Amino acid sequence: MSAIDPTEVFRQEASELFEVLEGALLDLGQRPDDRELVDSAFRALHTIKGSGAMFGFDKVASFTHEFETAFDRVRKGEIKPTQELISVALAAKDYIRALIEDPQSTDDIIGEGILDDLKRFVFPDQPAAPVAEIAEAPPLAPAESKQAGWHLYLEFESHILRNGSNPLDLLEDLCKLGPCFVVPVTDGIPFLDEMEPEDCYLKWDVKLHAACDKDAIDDVFMFVSDEMKLTLSPLEHVETPAPLPLFQLLDEEPAPVAGMTAPVVQVAAAPVAAQPVAKAEPKAESKPEPKPEGKRDDRGIATVRVQAERLDELMDRVGELVIAQARLTQLASSGSDLSIKMIAEEIERLASSLRDTTMGARMVPIGSLFGRFRRLIHDLSRDLSKPVDFVTTGEDTELDKTMIECLADPLVHLIRNAIDHGIEDTATRSANGKTEQGRIELAAVHSGAQVLVTVKDNGGGLNTARIRAKAEEQGLIAAGAVLTDHEIHQFLFHPGFSTAQTISALSGRGVGMDVVKRTIENMRGTIDLSTRPGQGTTVTLRLPLTLAIIEGLLIRVGEGRYIIPLSAVEECIELTAEDERSRGRNFLNVRGNLVPFLRLREIMTASGTPDRHQKTIIISTGETHVGLVADQIIGNHQTVIKSLSKLHSDVTIFSGATILGDGTAALILDVAQLVMLAQTKVEKQHISEAA
Amino acid sequence: MSSDATEPKWSLRLPADCSIAAIRNVYDLIREAFGRQDRLEIDCSSVDKADVTSIQLLLSAAKTGDAQGRPVVLTSFSQSLRNTLRRAGFASDAMIDQHFPQKKDGT
Repeated sequence: MSAIDPTEVFRQEASELFEVLEGALLDLGQRPDDRELVDSAFRALHTIKGSGAMFGFDKVASFTHEFETAFDRVRKGEIKPTQELISVALAAKDYIRALIEDPQSTDDIIGEGILDDLKRFVFPDQPAAPVAEIAEAPPLAPAESKQAGWHLYLEFESHILRNGSNPLDLLEDLCKLGPCFVVPVTDGIPFLDEMEPEDCYLKWDVKLHAACDKDAIDDVFMFVSDEMKLTLSPLEHVETPAPLPLFQLLDEEPAPVAGMTAPVVQVAAAPVAAQPVAKAEPKAESKPEPKPEGKRDDRGIATVRVQAERLDELMDRVGELVIAQARLTQLASSGSDLSIKMIAEEIERLASSLRDTTMGARMVPIGSLFGRFRRLIHDLSRDLSKPVDFVTTGEDTELDKTMIECLADPLVHLIRNAIDHGIEDTATRSANGKTEQGRIELAAVHSGAQVLVTVKDNGGGLNTARIRAKAEEQGLIAAGAVLTDHEIHQFLFHPGFSTAQTISALSGRGVGMDVVKRTIENMRGTIDLSTRPGQGTTVTLRLPLTLAIIEGLLIRVGEGRYIIPLSAVEECIELTAEDERSRGRNFLNVRGNLVPFLRLREIMTASGTPDRHQKTIIISTGETHVGLVADQIIGNHQTVIKSLSKLHSDVTIFSGATILGDGTAALILDVAQLVMLAQTKVEKQHISEAA
Repeated sequence: MSSDATEPKWSLRLPADCSIAAIRNVYDLIREAFGRQDRLEIDCSSVDKADVTSIQLLLSAAKTGDAQGRPVVLTSFSQSLRNTLRRAGFASDAMIDQHFPQKKDGT
């Protein structure tokens, strides 16, 4: 078992905190008054600073401290989080990330520049003063701090103790703010039989006799604020006699002050009466809803952090097991020993369920990917002066982690295109009766064994006439050729094809959509475009759930065996004599529809005599159907995908290989490439017929 | 940790660790003793590690005993347990007496 580098653990944790911070900052741009977002950003900053210092990232701790100090004014409500401030804060976040991930690439001058910018927005009246100095000045006392103190009612979520949080430490921190009078409320303590001993049942009623800021109290509970209910109301007067502060009691031997005991016992004897006493306080609201009893909260152990490499390793092992199991099954079926056959079947079932469980463990919600694009949209929207509302749905949809990684670049291209080419500028939108703010929707949804990811904009839509003109100009189609709009739109996926009249830093060079298509097809997915003039464009990506193990259809062509991904198989039919007679035209009549077919024997240059009854497997990508003619359909096969070596990188019709039960290899057919091959043949046939 | 043969049969001595890490064992111990005895005396003299969970368990034992008419008496609070009680707001002896029925000569 390998030792885990603690700094690597910090980097991973920081990476998650950066996502939280960035999400909170971006949301804050939309909802500047959302206090929870400010707190969330502040908590992330605070944790990065604290952990950074603990793991020896001193520069990170120091820079984050300055950032935190400046951002504290936002937290205190002294300044509003404007768009400009959010942009600088995002730049500061990027700088901290660079300090952690690639410190060599950072420059102190850049960091100082960012802090200067931050200071300019946060302290507009004192531009010359350093951030830290200003922050250390005594804070402005808000009107509410003129109270005699605070009355607090603390109720923690039942699981809080399991997380390592200790309410007693928090009470002690609270007592550091000033004299504290703490009364435990015991009415929630259950009978022994109903008790979960690790749950938290005690509540506390606290009177804090200190004219401190409310934020100072919030600071004490900052890290548990999501896991507790804190009811806070100002104390109108200091009670007499003044209660003995808890922290003093802790330092002394039990020597209760006369006069203090009585009120304490009185309150404690009737715990319910120890609810907040301020008359103005909405007592009923401060009482939480009763929680179902007897239900154990295991939130603390619900997830375990595992290194991605270990999951890959596990998947590889499962792959090997599936291959070994296939060999065992084959051996067992060739023998006559019934007990071996039973064991082989049992192992097959277990291997199959282990495969599903392992694949499930590799599934990651696509929301982790969607989150990254919010920043992209924010920056592009600012740079292009096109206000855009970014909406995501289906963030919980799960995909294999490898798929998520592969999907990032194509989606960046699609989103850039949507903003740069799809969404019109504000003047055009207004003139067309649209809202000035454009809208981009990124959605994911499960559809059978596939996931559909769509990027939809409400821009001007594709200009079909211009695409056609460009295609004719580039010689991709003959002038006047009859094509459907859908066929014309497919030219957007041709390498070097762009209709953009100007080349920008973002798009217009014609590099992008072909790369997107190739990447998606390499993932055994498909891409589809639909558009409505003046209303926008939708790009739909259809992706398999995983890249590691697939269900395949094992076929034989001559002596060789091949796998077709089962998700692409529509149906299997026999090649009739009539179809045979159509040799040369290579079209099948499938229930009245003409479907082009490829003879795999010809493609694979198979030797020997073809089987008498040839089979046709109809495969599809999107709306295109193609038949593949094989000698024999052997059956379903759990296919563990092995990559082809670099030597075979120019063989386009195979996407990988697998090992069969008898130890021999079978090549996996690349469906998208075969469909393209068939289409090319059809086009050539059209041209020769026209000639 | 468990009932001591040299002590009265209804006495249960709590282990040194009564913190959340060990509280389920202590819980099981008290429940087991509850099942055996009509009257239960819990000796708290060895408690070295205590936290919110220990306090809650003792409160629950007292409440359960009270409800079932089977007195639960706590004896010999260790200093560590006293400190934890004070940190939780059971700040005075009177308050501790109020919530935790004690055998006075044993405290």
